[in-house]
Amino acid sequence: MNPIIFITILLTLILGTVITMISSNWLMAWMGLEINMFAIIPLIIKQHNPRSIEAATKYFLTQATASMILLLAALMNFMYSGQWTIMNFTNSMPPFLALMALTMKLGMAPFHFWVPEVTQGSHLTSAAILLTWQKLAPLSILYQIFPSINHNLLLYSGILSIILGGWGGLNQTQLRKILAYSSIAHMGWMAIIISYEPSLMLLNLIIYILMTLSSFMLLIGNSNTSTASLAIMSNKTPLTMIMLMGVLLSLGGLPPLSGFMPKWLIIQEMTKNNSIILPLIMAMLALLNLYFYMRLIYSSALTMFPSNNNMKMKWKYTNLSYSTLLPTMFTLSMLSLPLTPMMNLLL
Amino acid sequence: MNLTPTFTLMVFIILIIPIIMSTTHIYQTKLYPQYIKTAISYAFTISMIPALTFINSNQEIMISNWHWITINSMKITLSFKLDYFSLIFIPVALFVTWSIMEFSIWYMEMDPNINRFFKYLLTFLITMIILVTANNLFQLFIGWEGVGIMSFLLIGWWYARTDANTAALQAILYNRIGDIGFILTMAWFLIHSNSWDLQQIMMTSTETNTLPLLGLLLAATGKSAQFGLHPWLPSAMEGPTPVSALLHSSTMVVAGIFLLVRFHSLLENNKTILTLMLCLGALTTLFTAICALTQNDIKKIVAFSTSSQLGLMMVTLGINQPYLAFLHICTHAFFKAMLFMCSGAIIHSLNDEQDIRKMGGLYKPLPLTSSALIIGSLALTGTPFLTGFYSKDLIIEAANTSYINAWALSLTLIATSMTAIYSSRIIFYALMGQPRSTTLILINENNPSLINAIKRLMFGSIFAGFILSNSINPTTIPQMTMPIYLKLTALSVTLLGFMLAMELNQMTLYLKFNYPSNTFKFSNMLGFYPQIMHRLYPFHSLNISQNISSNIIDLTWLEKTMPKNLANYNLMAATMTSNQKGMIKFYFMSFLISLCLALTFLL
Amino acid sequence: MLKIIIPTMMLLPLTWYSKKSMIWINVTSYSFMINLAALPLLNQTMDMTLNTSLLFSSDSLSTPLLILTTWLLPLMLMASQFHLNTESELRKKTYISMLITLQIFLIMTFTASELIMFYILFEATLIPTLILITRWGNQTERLNAGLYFLFYTLAGSLPLLVALTYLQNNLGSLNILLIQFITQPMSPSISSNFLWLACMLAFMVKMPLYGLHLWLPKAHVEAPIAGSMVLAAILLKLGGYGMMRITILIDPLNYSMAFPFLMLSLWGMVMTSLICLRQTDLKSLIAYSSVSHMALVIVAILIQTPWGFMGATTLMIAHGLTSSMLFCLANTNYERIHSRTMILARGLQSIIPLMALWWFTASLMNLALPPSINFIGELFITLSMFSWSKLSLLLMGLNMLITALYSLYMLITTQRGKPSFHINSIKPTFTREHTLMTLHILPLILLSVNPKLILGTMY
Repeated sequence: MNPIIFITILLTLILGTVITMISSNWLMAWMGLEINMFAIIPLIIKQHNPRSIEAATKYFLTQATASMILLLAALMNFMYSGQWTIMNFTNSMPPFLALMALTMKLGMAPFHFWVPEVTQGSHLTSAAILLTWQKLAPLSILYQIFPSINHNLLLYSGILSIILGGWGGLNQTQLRKILAYSSIAHMGWMAIIISYEPSLMLLNLIIYILMTLSSFMLLIGNSNTSTASLAIMSNKTPLTMIMLMGVLLSLGGLPPLSGFMPKWLIIQEMTKNNSIILPLIMAMLALLNLYFYMRLIYSSALTMFPSNNNMKMKWKYTNLSYSTLLPTMFTLSMLSLPLTPMMNLLL
Repeated sequence: MNLTPTFTLMVFIILIIPIIMSTTHIYQTKLYPQYIKTAISYAFTISMIPALTFINSNQEIMISNWHWITINSMKITLSFKLDYFSLIFIPVALFVTWSIMEFSIWYMEMDPNINRFFKYLLTFLITMIILVTANNLFQLFIGWEGVGIMSFLLIGWWYARTDANTAALQAILYNRIGDIGFILTMAWFLIHSNSWDLQQIMMTSTETNTLPLLGLLLAATGKSAQFGLHPWLPSAMEGPTPVSALLHSSTMVVAGIFLLVRFHSLLENNKTILTLMLCLGALTTLFTAICALTQNDIKKIVAFSTSSQLGLMMVTLGINQPYLAFLHICTHAFFKAMLFMCSGAIIHSLNDEQDIRKMGGLYKPLPLTSSALIIGSLALTGTPFLTGFYSKDLIIEAANTSYINAWALSLTLIATSMTAIYSSRIIFYALMGQPRSTTLILINENNPSLINAIKRLMFGSIFAGFILSNSINPTTIPQMTMPIYLKLTALSVTLLGFMLAMELNQMTLYLKFNYPSNTFKFSNMLGFYPQIMHRLYPFHSLNISQNISSNIIDLTWLEKTMPKNLANYNLMAATMTSNQKGMIKFYFMSFLISLCLALTFLL
Repeated sequence: MLKIIIPTMMLLPLTWYSKKSMIWINVTSYSFMINLAALPLLNQTMDMTLNTSLLFSSDSLSTPLLILTTWLLPLMLMASQFHLNTESELRKKTYISMLITLQIFLIMTFTASELIMFYILFEATLIPTLILITRWGNQTERLNAGLYFLFYTLAGSLPLLVALTYLQNNLGSLNILLIQFITQPMSPSISSNFLWLACMLAFMVKMPLYGLHLWLPKAHVEAPIAGSMVLAAILLKLGGYGMMRITILIDPLNYSMAFPFLMLSLWGMVMTSLICLRQTDLKSLIAYSSVSHMALVIVAILIQTPWGFMGATTLMIAHGLTSSMLFCLANTNYERIHSRTMILARGLQSIIPLMALWWFTASLMNLALPPSINFIGELFITLSMFSWSKLSLLLMGLNMLITALYSLYMLITTQRGKPSFHINSIKPTFTREHTLMTLHILPLILLSVNPKLILGTMY
């Protein structure tokens, strides 16, 4: 891809998200989402193979549907209240539709089917963007409208996402799919907490993005896309695999890694609101996620598969294209649990 | 100024020094056994001082040395009770052990680990002395278990032999059953007297419940091989002969009886436990005597005779004569150790032949051993004015004149007559008649370690009873007057046994014996007890452990219900939910359906 | 506490900057010194706690466990030298770093004075242990073992997290020093019962309670020597420690809720002892014996009497050293025979007699011979159990009997009997191994002289 075009597309992508985030007008927010979507599609079909085209098509169709529903919600809201401002609902129908649209955009259950396939179809970098940056815009709208939406629906959708995200990943061997399912599960956590304490959703989002990005960076370095290719990496790039292990454990939310922080705070917030059973179920279901991360860790870091890779100590000599951001991201996504008391101050 | 504690502690120190010395180079030399022997003889001499002081002044002492721990309101100290029992027992035990040590210098001469053997024997003795001097239950239990573990080591001395290991394990197993009783007693007294000190227990629990006493009885049953828990005792013959001698005379097996003697002030008020002891003792003494009748292994016969004597001691406790029982412990130690040493000498001389059918005519090549064996057997049967007489005769008399049940009494009397039978059987088979051993065996008894040891114990077997019973005041007074026929019962029963035995032996020596007789089988197979208890129980419990606890519960039920089941369900759910075909039409269909569902939910 | 934690953290740079030949000796000696620095904590002069800060404190319950932890690190290092011999320097250092990380977490777990922090660190110990088990284990079953270990513990402990946050919301603080003053008796309702269960379950899985113990034999058997040692010696004790800490919070419910678990433990200890009788695998036998001993600790804690607590604390320390020693011994066999099967390593007494002494002593400690510290623990537990119910002595006694049997069975099978031909040419023992065993036995013997050091808070 031509660098100028690439940069333009990237900037457009950012522009769309930013427009959505800063606008208090439904129309503008919708526009931002559309711009964002149009910018990501070329990124998905960066490699011109049928699979990525299929993925782009699927992405386009679902996103367009969601955008239409969102527009419908905005129009209905306009009809009822006579103004375009977000946050001001007078009827229950528009927020419902908006919620549906946003869950569709976020890839939450039961509208999650497209996520693994689109992620699998796109390049690793695009997949990383899909699973991280693309969540910002819809979540920012959700953040603004959460007081008026139906919380029960959101809870159901969240729990369903956690369950399906857990179960879905069990069956996969493709790394991008696994991460897609993990994203679905994390979206579930965020969706649930948003009605209790939206700033915790932000915290969860930040930590989630950090962890997902650093795991993608590690995968991009070796262009790993499947468990099988991961399995032969441990004698090639041991350090990467150890780091991957850390990040994956953190994604699974194992204390004392960063991934535990949002989970802990969410559970605490929910028990504070006298909801005991729900966080327990959520925590238990998170074990499903941990299980498939463990499988990745087993194949990548903790076992040595018999392999025909006879190049010793490759990690010393090859110039791997790791991002300069990686150390920071890795550290943050592993070791920020001790900062939790500070988070409490922020909230 | 009373020197009893000082001298007693000195005995301890003298005994411990050789063990400490085992870290020095002396342990590497051939002299180590000699050192130990000498140390024990010194210890014996020194221990005589407190014993004589006690005999003179009749003064009992309790010392508390070292405060170990205070828990809540219970204080545990290292304390020794130097009373009638411990002060008399220590010299007896040391005297017997001295001879045994000397004997083992000869017996174990060829063993490469003879030094270690001596160290073990000495430790065995020390634990026993800890047991008898202990003033609280905790300390007593240390000695109690120490004796058990040392017996494990010593019985399994020839560790490459499977039989020895099995026997050692058996000893521990049966003792461990007894330990349950001991722990029960400890727990009971802790809860109800808030102490393990013997004095406090005796003071606070005048109206004792039966339960802790039952615990004591169970403990004694295990340790002293009473009926039910007796099979380890004959099996323990797998150990070297000195071990058997020590185990059966002054340590280990008498510990159980000793424990009950210690607690007699609690036992004597409880009729239930007295009756139980009486019946258990009578049963033991008869059963083991029956078993002894047809054994062919010389050591087994002696072992069963010990068992029978232990039963007799239990009977004595049952008729509430603890001092008599204690006297019998002491007298029994002399001749039983000697009997073992004699049989050891015979076995050694005959090139490790233990079967009495293959001995015979030994009075010619082994005159001293033979005479010692005869004296020992006579003492065992209670021949007048030998050592055994002074305790055994009194026991029988006391039993005859007390109000005990006739069943127990008759069992005891029968067993007493059987003592004579099996004793004479040994004499008859091993010493008399023609030699039936293999030829070309160099038999001699010239080694001074052997001769001196046997001589010393022979002296003890003849005079010890007289000395002991004359110098110690009997504290519970046995029946003094009785009809002449009762007085003579014990003697006549023994004589009857002798006559019967000689008659039978003469009769059957050249006859073909009717082997398949059922009574013979009963006796020879030890009452089928080991067959039943050692086959059936381990078989079933091992089966249970394999089939039920391991296979069914652990590996199947727990594994299947929790992890495997969970994994299966999750696998099913995962395949069901994530089985995607990549059909965007279906996706949109599902979107539509969920939308509609959500809408209905909303409306 | 920092004077222990920071030096322990500095072990990491020490490891990575050490020369190849000096790795073991440096780390071992340094960690011994850390233990030395921790020893003065045993002098608990006050009834309350020492070194009280907002985050860390130690009292007479946690200090013995803390000392045990610091004591065990050098021992683990000594034990694993041989089997890491062939590994590269990088891997050796990673291995040592894992042990050190585990040590850091454990120290902080035992000294944490806030229950949530305790929880986090309790969970944090999982990761290094998991890595140890799965990365340096030998058989392929280790992967399964690692998963069992992780998921049993996590599934058990997540309810605890929820329960703890709930309690924090109710009480306002979960500081251990504070909760004894602010806790309120729980009302007897169904939901409180569930709260009790949630609080206890995590530790019961960790202990492990019979029925929830499946992970333990697997993990113990498959782990490398250091993993087995630390699992048996310390990680199981976390459960007991946690239970003792948390019972204050859930107080009056114990009397009714404890019954099924008491029964289960009593039943389970007999069952697991029975399993030991039929084990052919040495490490598995030791692992099951741990389950059986830990059942005693569970029983003692659930009874909630001072004697019970004392017994539980004592037995935890005693069993920690004993089982660790047994695993070391099993490992010395394994390094020579290359099999865990007992029958292949029989009759070793004739070949390596001094090792037989260690086997003998360890077996005696395992079967709780008086006056060893194990016996004191078991005796106290039996006493408290007896005062609770006289009938329980039947099962306790049976367990004592079977414990003696399988300990001696292990001893006899491995040490006694005729040596078989294939072990005629095994390596002689190393001084390192004898030192290792001595360092296990010495504390056991010395503690029985003065057991009040480890009798815990109730003393």
